[in-house]
Amino acid sequence: MDRREFLKCSLSGYSLCLLPGISAAGNFFPGSPQMGARLSRVEARYYRQLPDREIRCDLCPRFCQLGDRERGFCGVRENQGGKYYTLVYGQAASLNVDPIEKKPFFHFLPGSETFSLATAGCNLNCRFCQNWEISQMRPEQVKSVSLPPEALVTSCERYDCPVIAYTYTEPVVFFEYMYDSSLLARKKGIRNVVVTAGYINPEPLADLLRVVDAVKVDLKAFNQNFYSEYVRGELQPVLQAIKQIARSGSWLEIVYLVIPTLNDNPTEIRDMCRYLKNEIGPDFPVHFSRFHPMYLIKNLPPTPLSTLEKLREVALEEGLHYIYVGNVPGHPGENTYCPKCGKLIIERYGYVIRKKELSGNKCRYCGQVIAGVWS
Amino acid sequence: MSKARVVIVTSSRNFSDINRPDPGIILTMLKKGLEALSGAARAEEALREWFRPGETVGLKVNTIGRRALSTSPETALTLGLWLGQTVGREENVIIWDRTDEELKEAGYRISTSPGSLKIFGTNNRRAGYQSEPTAHRHLGSLFSRIQAELIQASISLALLKDHGLAGVTAGLKNYFGAIHNPNKYHDSNCNPYIAELFETEPIRRKHRLTILDALRVQYHRGPAYHPQWLAASRKFIFSLDPVAADTVGWKIIEELRAKKGLPSLKEEGRAPGYLLTAEKLNLGQARLENIEIIEEEV
Repeated sequence: MDRREFLKCSLSGYSLCLLPGISAAGNFFPGSPQMGARLSRVEARYYRQLPDREIRCDLCPRFCQLGDRERGFCGVRENQGGKYYTLVYGQAASLNVDPIEKKPFFHFLPGSETFSLATAGCNLNCRFCQNWEISQMRPEQVKSVSLPPEALVTSCERYDCPVIAYTYTEPVVFFEYMYDSSLLARKKGIRNVVVTAGYINPEPLADLLRVVDAVKVDLKAFNQNFYSEYVRGELQPVLQAIKQIARSGSWLEIVYLVIPTLNDNPTEIRDMCRYLKNEIGPDFPVHFSRFHPMYLIKNLPPTPLSTLEKLREVALEEGLHYIYVGNVPGHPGENTYCPKCGKLIIERYGYVIRKKELSGNKCRYCGQVIAGVWS
Repeated sequence: MSKARVVIVTSSRNFSDINRPDPGIILTMLKKGLEALSGAARAEEALREWFRPGETVGLKVNTIGRRALSTSPETALTLGLWLGQTVGREENVIIWDRTDEELKEAGYRISTSPGSLKIFGTNNRRAGYQSEPTAHRHLGSLFSRIQAELIQASISLALLKDHGLAGVTAGLKNYFGAIHNPNKYHDSNCNPYIAELFETEPIRRKHRLTILDALRVQYHRGPAYHPQWLAASRKFIFSLDPVAADTVGWKIIEELRAKKGLPSLKEEGRAPGYLLTAEKLNLGQARLENIEIIEEEV
């Protein structure tokens, strides 16, 4: 089975039929008359006004300082006459119903369907971005639909999804939309999960953690050089965010996309695992995901399976309990094993759960508590 | 090594309205500038040497500052019509920027009619962005189809302004409007991004001439419009060397700042380091000692 076949048969997620053409990829239409999406004009949070109609954005560690009519690095927040606005509030550029395993969350309501959405924009610039057609665009350069928080929650209920996932691009840049939607969803008993690179300042993150239930952080590497060269960001704020999430009570999972020759050094991964164990403990899952050539890095091959297996081994040696191999359907590293008795307790194939041997939150064989949110 | 040549033409005549300059005066200034730059007896000869009859020429203007602070439509239209009539046909000239809306807000009227000079933005349905990104050094961007596909030659008809991050925005940075994601390239004082962007094939191969509209210069707190720091300089700056043109533009901004008692850009930590980067990439001259400055008055 090659990658194309895999994607064809294992993507049980589906684009919503009420939004033809809107999906996580390929919704950028060069030259199309529908290029110009409607821009919202909702005042942004986390900024301060400076003299001469300038502002400073305090949402993420970039602290963009902007003159009148300028946009931040994210491309979706704009200074207009000394007031800062989000241009993507309620403007969904991608909408799908996905299995939660696709995010991936393996220890949060396994088997659940998530109502997944994104707006345009990102506060990073990863050269290997898998969703660059929307994340690296300005809102007027993608097709999007108006879906304010109330309509989002109603749609989620209509599709009978117990979870809303803010995902695909970088939810931090549509903070206000995500926050208001999460608040509303919670009142209806719907859970909220966030898929992010964790490039956010502590104060907005603290506010966000009050209204969301789980966060998946893409840790891109464990060295600053990689962050400078391939991500255009800083590592330290991401590590701070990981610690803050872990200590908040929200569920946390970490994904590490392994790119051959760039961030696959086992010594560095060992250091990372030690760091994680010391700072947040052994129970938050770490997924080592397979890279596929994309966007601006097309000259490297997909990650060899042996590399992923080696890194998984390193992480287990360092005492982390739940280590997964991602983007390799059918690999035993997709399964959950009890850290005490070693028995297989959740068997997966791609995004499908084949077997679950949990009794509540405990291993059915030995009674060990398995960290996660299971109901 | 021969010096780069930069011509500064200043109008001695007061414009009745500096915001809506007289096209007659503009044409006189343009002709004088191109004659001095080329050494030709008549500016038209120079234009015919630099541009071929069958080519479509793009005039990349800067319209982010609306009517108050954009490349003036009077300048762009005067140049576009004259160039079209001199070299080939006016329909082979495209005045363009990022969006139709920005062009309109700056006072341009969108025009796509056959047989006449064209004015439209990349977001116009005739254009759009390319679907595959161009990767070059630190950059990864979709190019406007206008720059990459619709034109064969390009003039950067930029506004000269102070810039809070880049230090100076002029002819080189004007091409940020040719890519879909300029917001990604404003850190580190836009260095090395401005230089690297100019080095890409769709720009470097097509760029022929820089003309800086310095009729009014925002010398502080740019690129936004602040009338208290706007000088009516009544100048155009011309060069075949894109780096030299901007270097001289920087000099003019520093002179205006000094006259008002403002600290230099270097003192403010935002000297336009991208100019030296551009020189290192062999895009032009970034040192005044390597630039011959010719000043003319009309």
